[in-house]
Amino acid sequence: MARLVKTQKEMEGRYEDVWVLVDEDDDLETWGADEDLAIVGRPAPRHDGSARAAGRARFTVDVRLAGMLHAAVLRSPVARGRVRSLQLDAARALPGVRAVLGPETKLSFTARAPVLASEALYAGQPLAAVAAETLEQALAALAALAPDIEVLPHIVDPQEALREQRFASDPTDEARGDAEAALAAADVRVELELETPDHLQTPLEPHAAVAVWEGDDLTAWVSTQGMFSARDELARSFGLRKDQVRVIAEYVGGGFGGKQGAAFAALVAAELARLTGRPVRLVNDRHAEQLDGGRRAATRQTMRLGARRDGTITAIEADAVVAVGEGGLAFPDGMLFPVLVPARTLYRCDDVHAMTFGVKTNLRAQNAFRAPGVMEGTAAFEQAIDELANALGLDPLELRRRNHVEVDQASGLPYSSKQLLACYDRAAELAGWDGREALRAPQPDGLLRGMGCATQIWWGGGGPPSHATIRLDADGQARLVTGIQDIGTGTLTAARIVAAEELGLSLDHVRVSGGDTAPNVYGPVAGGSQTTPSVLPAVRSAGAKVRKQLLQLAGDVFEIAAEDLEVRGGRIRSSDGGLDVDITEVTGKLGDATIDGSGSRGPNPDGFRVHTFGCQIAQVAVDAAVGEIRVERIVAVHDVGRIVNPLTASSQVEGGVLQGMAFALTEELVVDPTTGVPVNGHLDDYKLPTIADVPEIVVDFSHVPDANLPNLGSKGLGEPPIVPTAAAIANAFAHATGRRCRALPMTRDRVLEALA
Amino acid sequence: MQITLDVNGELHELFISAGRRLVDVLRDELELSGTKVGCGEGACGACAVLLDGRPVNSCLLLAAAAEGHAIVTIEGISHHGDTALQEAFVAEDALQCGFCTPGQVVSATALLARTPQPTRDQIHAAMAGNLCRCGAYPKIERAILRASGGGG
Repeated sequence: MARLVKTQKEMEGRYEDVWVLVDEDDDLETWGADEDLAIVGRPAPRHDGSARAAGRARFTVDVRLAGMLHAAVLRSPVARGRVRSLQLDAARALPGVRAVLGPETKLSFTARAPVLASEALYAGQPLAAVAAETLEQALAALAALAPDIEVLPHIVDPQEALREQRFASDPTDEARGDAEAALAAADVRVELELETPDHLQTPLEPHAAVAVWEGDDLTAWVSTQGMFSARDELARSFGLRKDQVRVIAEYVGGGFGGKQGAAFAALVAAELARLTGRPVRLVNDRHAEQLDGGRRAATRQTMRLGARRDGTITAIEADAVVAVGEGGLAFPDGMLFPVLVPARTLYRCDDVHAMTFGVKTNLRAQNAFRAPGVMEGTAAFEQAIDELANALGLDPLELRRRNHVEVDQASGLPYSSKQLLACYDRAAELAGWDGREALRAPQPDGLLRGMGCATQIWWGGGGPPSHATIRLDADGQARLVTGIQDIGTGTLTAARIVAAEELGLSLDHVRVSGGDTAPNVYGPVAGGSQTTPSVLPAVRSAGAKVRKQLLQLAGDVFEIAAEDLEVRGGRIRSSDGGLDVDITEVTGKLGDATIDGSGSRGPNPDGFRVHTFGCQIAQVAVDAAVGEIRVERIVAVHDVGRIVNPLTASSQVEGGVLQGMAFALTEELVVDPTTGVPVNGHLDDYKLPTIADVPEIVVDFSHVPDANLPNLGSKGLGEPPIVPTAAAIANAFAHATGRRCRALPMTRDRVLEALA
Repeated sequence: MQITLDVNGELHELFISAGRRLVDVLRDELELSGTKVGCGEGACGACAVLLDGRPVNSCLLLAAAAEGHAIVTIEGISHHGDTALQEAFVAEDALQCGFCTPGQVVSATALLARTPQPTRDQIHAAMAGNLCRCGAYPKIERAILRASGGGG
């Protein structure tokens, strides 16, 4: 029976009350830790792995439509400047040019901010857009625009922006108890200051869209993590109903948080397509992607901790200055990510004061990048915790164990499940933590070695709304339809696994689809580590309904009560063992009819906070002569509840660790302070890790399902593995050398400066 | 200009402008979209194709300069994904979003052709020009070892 209920919904720590449609039949008993499962929890290759390995996967950049035009975008070459003039008519007069949009052009859609700026607020901001028969003609039109730009003063230094009080929004001020007094009264105090860099998502497929109109109906292929939010944004912007817009995101070449909604590419492609009556393709080139695809904002954080001699943390003062940037179609203006959530909630402490200052700088506005806020906040706070351990003469893991909490320090609510202590133990065992001090003995290779740890916290509990439908045909083949856009995480494969398990079919009897809004089977944005915990319970509910109907029909055919039948491995069996037949003995009688079921995600239980946890331990070797840090091994043990597919789960962890490692060691957008223009907006100078940089990565999980989460007990795994890596590496460096770098990434010059 | 390209064992007569890059001709004229453009600047390897058996970045090569050479794209390696290497990529989960994967498979195919049983160092040297932002590297290494019979 379907009902509308009001429930709390969480996205990356932001809570809101929403109405959701729930069906009590969808609430199944959560699979227990020792549940006898045939497919869930066993490694399975991706359902679409072969298509990806053979180059058959069709990404947005691969879409070619008959009569398609190519768009190109003029971007600001300066950090701040006023457009005095653009030669729009000269561009329009060139061969092949079919549409030109400038800052003064009246657009047929609405947007939250100017789409094409007359006053640029950052280098790379779009000023004009053209559509032409070929990309070469479109680029020639850009050259003909001959922009005359009056350069205006810029600010790219966050400290200067702070001095000028260029606040993007009101600072956040979160306090409990009296941190100042507690700090003054503490037995031991430490202070740590850290700068973290602007960090670019750098998906290898850039932002891209192909748009085509048929009458008043719009179809858009969009390289996005949120096809439904893209659909809704396009509908709202162009004044359409949702059913008039179809967004396709079948294959997305990475996102990491940076590809939200329709964004500039889809809005402008749709406008150009509307104006010309032709399909239009708009794809960022690499430099545009690096300047305008998004970024994790640079921060400067200060942590002051106080503790008793026994290691009890008694005071935490934390502040962060965040260079949120300015301009463009980014997140809501001035929105701050939860940089200081680790400081506020990772350990028990009654006296805490945390302030975050978002300042406007002339860089593209920040957007989400895998564990936004929490990752850079952990990089600073978990280094301060290690400094505290050092000051107390305590083992860093022991200090963390002594300050463990079972209750969320911000809300006072208990965690739904928390296996962090087991993660500490397992990580210590896998890393050889007991032998840690021996690493510091003189080494034959002359390198300095050390080992460091860090704790991870993130959300990842998911929630409604999410839906799934399953249709079983006469051949005994099931078709699962979801609202998942699988950006590389393997969530569609995980959905297929859960469907096969609940249906009692083998994997090859289940097809799964997502990446298309046309069926209107809703799924959340691929962000916040919420796809697995949101969509998979709905998939299991849909499967349960189909299985129930199948067994009822089997009861009709074999004249056995449905309660006495079960289906497993594609065979229907009676409890007395008298019947054992292939399911096609039943489905074969359906003819052209199908058995259909749909499921929806129920709410999370009241009275809990749902979080993921983990511990990573890094071992590094430092070449003090040249200032090079080599990561030798990372052990990553995370508590994300039930693991549906260990194969893709370990891939998620490895990828997160490598991105976190590069944040610690090499990745940084470098901005020329004189011009305000980034100087390394390309892949040869923005240093991503290569295969030759990969350390040994040892992955494990707590494997304890969260009994308070519906149906599966699974939480999300997208964010957790990137969160603690940089802090663990920095702590290992400090263990090896007794020094700390004041800024990330720990490049050779910074290492040499720290060692001097 | 008119050129003849030998792509995946087939000859194609094409009329193109002299400045066209090989990757654009492959993707736009021959509709071989498995070859990707990640940077267009020779820094990521997503556009790797085989030129007389050697992996090259097709974004850095003029199409006209490829005339007279045997070009093999990911589609020519196997559009069905049924080479031992491609099967190893799937079995080991050596891919996530899949955008860099065709280039990875092309480079690894060339490596295994000249070094059938590569060491880890040889894999690192041969594959360091193929970026994977998702971080599938540990499993790419395992897949290459598996396909070479050397592990996995």
